[in-house]
Order: sequence, then structure tokens, then C-alpha cells
Amino acid sequence: MDSQRAEARALEAEITALRRACVEPPAPGEDTFRVRKSFREIYQADSEGWELSKDLRSHLGHLESELQFLSTLTGISIRHYSKKTEDLTSTEMTEKSIKKVLQRHRLSGDCHMITFQLEFQLLEIQNEESLSSVITDLSIIMEPTEYSELSEFVSRAEERRDLFMFFRSLHFFVEWCEYRKRTFKRFKEKYPEAVHLSEGASSSCMGIRSPSRPGFELVIVWRIQIDEEGKVLPKLDLLTKVPLQALELDKNGVIETAPLSFRTLLGVLGIEATLESLIKSLHTEASN
Amino acid sequence: MELANTLSQDGESRGGVLAHLERLETQVSRCRKKLEEPQSTQAVESALGTRIHELRRLRDKLRAEVKQHQARVKASTTNVEPDQTLEITEQEILKRKRENVKAILQAYRFTGISGKLTSRGVCVCIGTAFEGNLLDSYFVDLVMQKPPQIHHHSIPVFIPLEEISAKYLQTNIQHFLFTLCEYLNAYSGRKYQADRLQSDFAAFLAGPLQRNSLCNLLSFTYKAEPEGQSFPFCARLLYRDLTTTLPTDVTVTYQGTDALSTTREEQRAAHENLFFTKPLHQVFTSFASKGDKLDMSLVS
Repeated sequence: MDSQRAEARALEAEITALRRACVEPPAPGEDTFRVRKSFREIYQADSEGWELSKDLRSHLGHLESELQFLSTLTGISIRHYSKKTEDLTSTEMTEKSIKKVLQRHRLSGDCHMITFQLEFQLLEIQNEESLSSVITDLSIIMEPTEYSELSEFVSRAEERRDLFMFFRSLHFFVEWCEYRKRTFKRFKEKYPEAVHLSEGASSSCMGIRSPSRPGFELVIVWRIQIDEEGKVLPKLDLLTKVPLQALELDKNGVIETAPLSFRTLLGVLGIEATLESLIKSLHTEASN
Repeated sequence: MELANTLSQDGESRGGVLAHLERLETQVSRCRKKLEEPQSTQAVESALGTRIHELRRLRDKLRAEVKQHQARVKASTTNVEPDQTLEITEQEILKRKRENVKAILQAYRFTGISGKLTSRGVCVCIGTAFEGNLLDSYFVDLVMQKPPQIHHHSIPVFIPLEEISAKYLQTNIQHFLFTLCEYLNAYSGRKYQADRLQSDFAAFLAGPLQRNSLCNLLSFTYKAEPEGQSFPFCARLLYRDLTTTLPTDVTVTYQGTDALSTTREEQRAAHENLFFTKPLHQVFTSFASKGDKLDMSLVS
């Protein structure tokens, strides 16, 4: 019976405590108001805190302008970057003071009109004498995909895990594309009736016609190729469209040898001068 | 029974009715007492038991209530927390942004060209790599005036820096940097191949590897099978194009005075072709793996 009385007393005490607990905490609103007020007081009172914020802002501004500068300098804008590190050092390695780390990087951005998304793995092995860093996997996604010359190049870069070659060739490719576009646009503006761009300035073909000589057309095909080594080279060809009668009259076979002559001309005058001379030859005849 | 007996004996009971009543009373009170005694301990005990039972129930009920109450309080305070966090973590947002920008700046090294702003302009760092191996990097400290100039650099002297800068530095800095990148990466790649040949395939070399500092002229005597009785071949590799890692001119010759057998001649020609198409150390890797049977399928 004593134990029972003891238990009863204990229960009573617990119940009183529980009753108190149900009532104790103040209303939420009150509580947080108090907390908020104290934080504000701390924040304002701490002038160092204000200064840190200002410093932070200016530092951030400086870094952002550095990023903008780098982006303009290289022509490559990196928009997102993330990295994961995995330590692969085994206990045996640690004994020999060898460190092995696998990093997974994700990078995305654009280079003029082309956007890229890269994922690659970098294996770093550090021993007493040296540090070796090897890219062990590379995967590249590029847009837009209508530049067919690029898809082959991308698979080659992935195969070779040659990250730097990818960016280098990308840069030169884009440079050539822009140059081609500018050149075509310039000729179109200078000789609007003679020059014909089927797909606008970004097309790879430029047609030269003469309004007074319908049926004749010279088509310049300007491709930009990336070779095995990642070298970017322009490849220009001339296609001729000539009425049958003219062909029959062509005793000297000028039309036939035109593509070859074109290549020679390119070597001598360079791209722009060659194109202009071709346009002029058809154009001046027309204006006569 | 007693009662019945006393009542049936009419007139002859002692004390008569009063005495009888007295006797009844004592009996009743004795019975009552008997009933009451165990009841008091029992009663107390069972009363306690019930009370404990009741108390336990109440306690459990209150416990549940308090839990609910606490949960409610917690929920309402967490609802209020964001407000507080907004005020004090503006710094956090800025810090996060800063870390993000810093990371992207670091990431530029993976494009091969990275840099840091200096008081005069920018110090550009050009990285080199071959077959996924990250190799040496070089720097060019540019003064961004009109026209831009090179303040100082770590480019090796045999790289035609003056030529490249004369062509492009004033007109197109991007082109200047990427062209320099081309030359440096090609040099790094050639050097890597030559180093690997010397270190990994020394057993195949019959003499020292002769190389120039630009690593674009290599000359060596080798055997396709290190232990075999095969005759050594002399190879001379010239890389005329300084922006490539594969040779433009390859000559493989036989040193002996007597004429080569047909198989040997075929081998010689095949080797020449190999040197043209594959990096140097990979050619020797294929020698090592094929043993003395040269796989003609390697010849494209």
C-alpha cells in the first residue's frame, strides 16, 4: 500500500507539472517580437557588421568585373560551375604519402552563338615528387546542333579528353563563322542585286547572279572544317551554273576549269578579294 | 438460525423480548464490524488502485496535450523565423554570390586561358595538356594600354612570341591569346611524347634520343623488339608545323649495309606510316604489345 501511495503522489506531481506546461509558453507573436527586436538591436549596434557588408559588396563588385573582363578577353562566358571532390586515398597510399583525389566538374556557358555544357572527371595523384592531373572522362553537349561540322569535332574531343583543344577550336570556329557572316553581309549590302544569300548571312553559300544574264550563277560554298588535330580551316569551293548553250560556246573550257582557277585565285588574292573580283566580273558585264 | 430458535421458544427466552433485541443488536454490530474491517483495508487499497488508474489516465492525456501544444508553438515560431533570417542573412546571400563568382573565375583555367586583373591590365595564364594530362602552364602579363603590350612572360624563348604578338596583339587580343595557346599546347604535347619515349621505352632505344628544345626535331635509333635479334632502324621526325603534335616529315632508315629483306622493307614502310599517324609513345606501346608480330592492321 505504501508503494501505491508513493505512485499516486508521483502521478499527482507529474500531472501538476504537465498542467503547467500546457499553459506556460507565451503566445507566439509575443515571443518572436521580442527576438526580432533583440536581433535588430544587435545588428544596429554592431557597426562592424555594417562595414563587413559594405566590404563584401565592393569585393563582390570587383570580382564580377574581373569575370566580365575575362569573359570579354577569351570570348567564352562561363555561367555555371560546380565541383564535387572524392578522396580515393587508401590507407596504404597514406603510408607512402600518396594522395589520390577524384574531382567531378560541371561547367556550362556560351561562346558567341554556341552554348556548351561540359562534365568531366579529373584524377589528381600527389606523391612526394610531383602532382599529376589527368582528365579521365569528358562529355560535351553543344547547341545549336545545326553546325554539322561540330558534332564530329565534339566526339573527337570527348574521345581524346582534350578539354583545351575543345575550347581553342571552338573559339577559332566561331571566329571564322563570324568572319564569314560579316563578309557575306558586306557583299550583300554592296551588291544587292548580284549577291544572293539563300539562308541569310549565316548561310554557308553565297550565290552570284547577273540580272541581265539569267541562267548564269556562280555559287561560292564556304565551309569551316575542323581537322583531326583540332585545327580550324576554311574550305571554299566554286560551283557554276551555266545554260547549256553557253557551255557549248565555251571553247576554252573556262567554265570547266573555273573551280580550279578559283582555288588559285584564293591563294593569290585571299578570300575577300577573290569573292569581290568574281562579283565584279559578273556585275560589270551586266552594267555594260 | 439463532434468531429463529429464540423466536420459536415463546415465553421461555431469557430476558424476554428486550434481551432478544439486545442480542440481535450485538449480532448485527458484530456482523457489521466483521464486514467493515476487511472493507477498510480492502476499500482503501482498491480506492488507491482506482485513483492511480485515474491519475495515470489523466497524466497520459495531459502528456498528449502538452506534446500537441509544443508542436503548435514550434510550428508558429518556425513560421516566423524566415522573417528574422531575411534580415540577418543578407550577408549570407552576398557571401554565397561571392563564392559563386570566385568558383567561376577558378573554372576558367579549364578553358586553357584564365587570368587575374592587375594594376596595369591582366596577367593571363595559359594552360597546356596532352591526351587528358594537364601539363605546364605559362603566363603573359599584359599592359592594357592602346596599344596593348607584354610586360613580362614565362614563354620559352624558342616559341615565336614576337612573331605572334606582332601579328595579332594590337588588333585582336583574343586571336593573339588563342594562337599562343596553340603553339604552347603543341610544344607541350611534343615534349610529353619525347619524355615518355625516353622514360617508358628506353629498352627499345639503341642510343640516346636526340631532340631540340622546341621538340620539333627528333632523331633516334630503335628496335621494334627490345630482346629480339632484329636490326635497329633509324628514325628522324620533323614537325614543320609548330601548332601540331604529329610530324610532317618522317624518315625511317635501315643502318646496315646489306639490302633489306622484303619483310623488313614492309616493316620499315609500316613504321614510317605509324610515326606519321600516331603519337610517338603510342607507336612504341603498340610495338611492346604486339611483340615481334607487327600488326599490319595498324597501318591505315
